[in-house]
Formats: sequence, structure tokens, C-alpha cells
Amino acid sequence: MWFMWALAVLAGSAAADQQALERMARGEHDALAELYDRYGRTVYSLALRIVRDQGDAEDIVQEVFSQAWRQAGRYDSGRGPVVGWLLTMARSRAIDRVRGRRVRPAAILDETAALDMPDGARLADEQLEWAGRASQIRSVFEELPLLQRMAIELAFYEGLTHSEVAERLELPLGTVKTRIRQGLLKMKDRLGRE
Amino acid sequence: MDHDALRESTGLYVLGALAATDREAFEAHLATCAVCAAEVRTLAGVSNALAYAVPQIDPPFALRSRILMDAGAPRQTSSLSSAVPALESRPRAASSPSFVSSGWLSAAAMLALAVGLGGYAVSLRQRVGGLELQLRETVNRLDRSEQAVAVATQIAERAQVRVAVLTSPDLTQVNLAGQRPAPRAIGRAFWSRSSGLVFAATELPQLPAGRTYQLWFLRGTSPPVSAGLLKPDGSGRMTAAFDTPASVGTSTGLAVSIEPDGGVPAPTGELYLVGLTQ
Repeated sequence: MWFMWALAVLAGSAAADQQALERMARGEHDALAELYDRYGRTVYSLALRIVRDQGDAEDIVQEVFSQAWRQAGRYDSGRGPVVGWLLTMARSRAIDRVRGRRVRPAAILDETAALDMPDGARLADEQLEWAGRASQIRSVFEELPLLQRMAIELAFYEGLTHSEVAERLELPLGTVKTRIRQGLLKMKDRLGRE
Repeated sequence: MDHDALRESTGLYVLGALAATDREAFEAHLATCAVCAAEVRTLAGVSNALAYAVPQIDPPFALRSRILMDAGAPRQTSSLSSAVPALESRPRAASSPSFVSSGWLSAAAMLALAVGLGGYAVSLRQRVGGLELQLRETVNRLDRSEQAVAVATQIAERAQVRVAVLTSPDLTQVNLAGQRPAPRAIGRAFWSRSSGLVFAATELPQLPAGRTYQLWFLRGTSPPVSAGLLKPDGSGRMTAAFDTPASVGTSTGLAVSIEPDGGVPAPTGELYLVGLTQ
């Protein structure tokens, strides 16, 4: 979790997040608003990328922050930064939905609704302190060799399992395993160095 | 399974992609192996960072209040809506009957009223100025949002084509090998007749001025059909997606040749990459 810590510390928010959770545990709604204002967009963006449906993504964000509200008192800071907890919840819920949907294969390709947002939308490359780091993560990811990137993309963003990734890329199981590990290690190396 | 074999699974494990039985075996190993546990901790950080590699998009504004109300928070009013009733309430005080009824209103009182109204007019102007500023900021924000949506839509469309290709049931992979002018070049194509072509290449030599690379569908003894033009970056790498041309028919492979800028209807230049469908 070194990287999440680095991000949270960069944003100067690791301690503030912890305090917000403590205040949430005491029933202070302002603290929930504060946490949402800090991470609502990050959580929403990840959920939207995975489920590719605005309504589903909103539901997931609502579930994640409701759960954070209910379980704030039980959160153990030894588990890592709060933002990592929120994102893990969001990803696992999003993947549950996508995997549930996969019974109807046509739905996976139906992405037209993904960016049809009535309330305005924008890329994050401005304002937030995360932005500089976020675009760096994106470019490090984009620079990975094609098959490493595709294998990671299918597993992380599409929620495919090991054998599903192998099937989709027409590669042996062992190759997929190695490519994913190499890709992540390479990202760690590049992100850690800069 | 031994340590080396299990260690290869660290990536799949942190992405949550291991099948249940594999995961149990890996977790049993993890409990006893400090090396693998350390690697899992490191890679978990990278896996979390991937959450930030997605384009960041603002959630709808209403979602915030839904979440707060869900948690039982009291309704909040915005600063703008609270400013408007304040504007309305002042003129009502100014036109109240006590100011117009008496004929004996002294000059001093009239002066005080004039000064009061003047002060009110100033504060009104300031308030209108403030609102105009807010409006301008909002319009600017909207402009920026619209530009960003256009960019995001483009990115999404490109990504959509690639995902559509990679998830098609008729996906074919073609590996292209470097030819005489570029023996180290490598190309890889993922082609679906129904959804299009995703093509990637590395180690393509720098193009001389006025030249371009062009990708061709080979068709056995029939003439090749152009798939599109390729522009590698400074390091000789490129990735691009193309539609399947209507006239392809049966394709036996793909090739890349060097051609005059803008491309040509039939290949004329030397071949740099060639690969046949398996």
C-alpha cells in the first residue's frame, strides 16, 4: 500500500481522512460531506470505468459512502489509507455487477451510455492535487508493452478472471500470469522512481 | 507447487483474478513466505494506483445530496439561494407605509432616508456585481466542461473500438515479423471482421520526410486492400485502431509498406512487416 500512502500524503489528507472517519463515527454529517468532496469523483470515475453505466456507477458510489458511514467506527487505520478502502469497495462492487451482467454477453459491449452525463463532466487534469500524479499513472500504464497492458486492463477494469483473460487474448494461462506480474512490477518501478 | 511457481501469481492475486482454488493455495503459501508477502504488499499499491489511471469524471451534482440524505443529514441550502430572498426583502421595507404617510417629514429625515436608500443602492449594485461574477464563472466552467466532454467522448470512442475488437467472437491474432529494411521491427494485430482491427508495432525506423507507413490486408492472389496509415512515435512504437474495409473479402495476412505521404491505393514501396493469418 506504499503508493496509496504516498498519494494520500501528497494530498495532505491522510490524517484529515482519519479524523473525518472518527467524526463520522460520532454521527457528524459534515465529515461525510468532507470525505465525499475529497473522493467522490475518484470513486465515481473508477466505478463508471468498470460498469460503463452512469446509473450503476451512481448506485455504487452511494453504496460505498453509505457503507463508510455505517462502518466508520470499525475502520482500522492499520489497514492502510482511507482512500484505498473506498476504492477497494467501489471496485469489488463494480466487478460484482459486471460479472452478474456477463450472463448477457451483449451488455458488455453496450458502452454508449458511459459518458452521457447531464450534469456536466470533465477530466480531472485540473484543480485537484491528484491530477499531476493521476496523469503520470496513466502515462506509465500506457507505456507498458501492449499485452501486459491488455492483460492488466482486462483483469482490473473488466473484472475478468485468469482463465477468462487467457481466453480473450488467446494466450496460455502461464503467459497471462507472467505478463500481469511483469506489468505491475514495471509500473511500480517507474512510479517509485519518479 | 514450489515458491517460484507460486510467486508468479502475485499479480493475479492483487488484481483479484485468481480462481478460488488457486487463491486458496496461494494464500496458504503467502502465510509462510515473507518474500511473496512483501511482493503482494508492493503490488497491491500499484493495483490501487490503477484506480487513478481512469479519466476522472465529475459525478452528477444530485448524488452528493442523495448520499448525505441517505445518512440522515439535514437538507443544506446553497449560498446562491439564500442570497436571493435577501434581495427581495429589502425593497419591501423601503416601500412600507410609514415612510410616505406624514407631510411633516423633516428635511433631516428625508436626508437620512436618501442616504439610507443610496447606501442600499450601493449594496444592491455590489450584490448584482457579485452575482454577475458568479454567473460568468459558471458559464466559463460550463465551457470548460463541454470541451472536456468532447475530449472524453473521443477517448471513449477510441477505447470503445478497441474493446469491441478485443471482445469479438471472431477475433484473430496476426503476428507480423520485421523484413529486410527493419529486421528488429515487430507488429501485432488483433482483427475482428465485424468490429475492426487493433494494430501495434515497435522498432519501426524513423520515416524520412514525405513518407508514411501503410498497413495492408493481404488477400492471396488478389490485390491487397489498404487498412490505413501508421504514424510511429519518436521511439518507433505505435498503436492504432482501424475499421475493417468493406472490400477485404478473405484475408490471408497483413503487411506494412513504406509509401508516399497520404498513402496510395495499391502498395508500391518496400515491405517492413509481414504476418500471415494462422
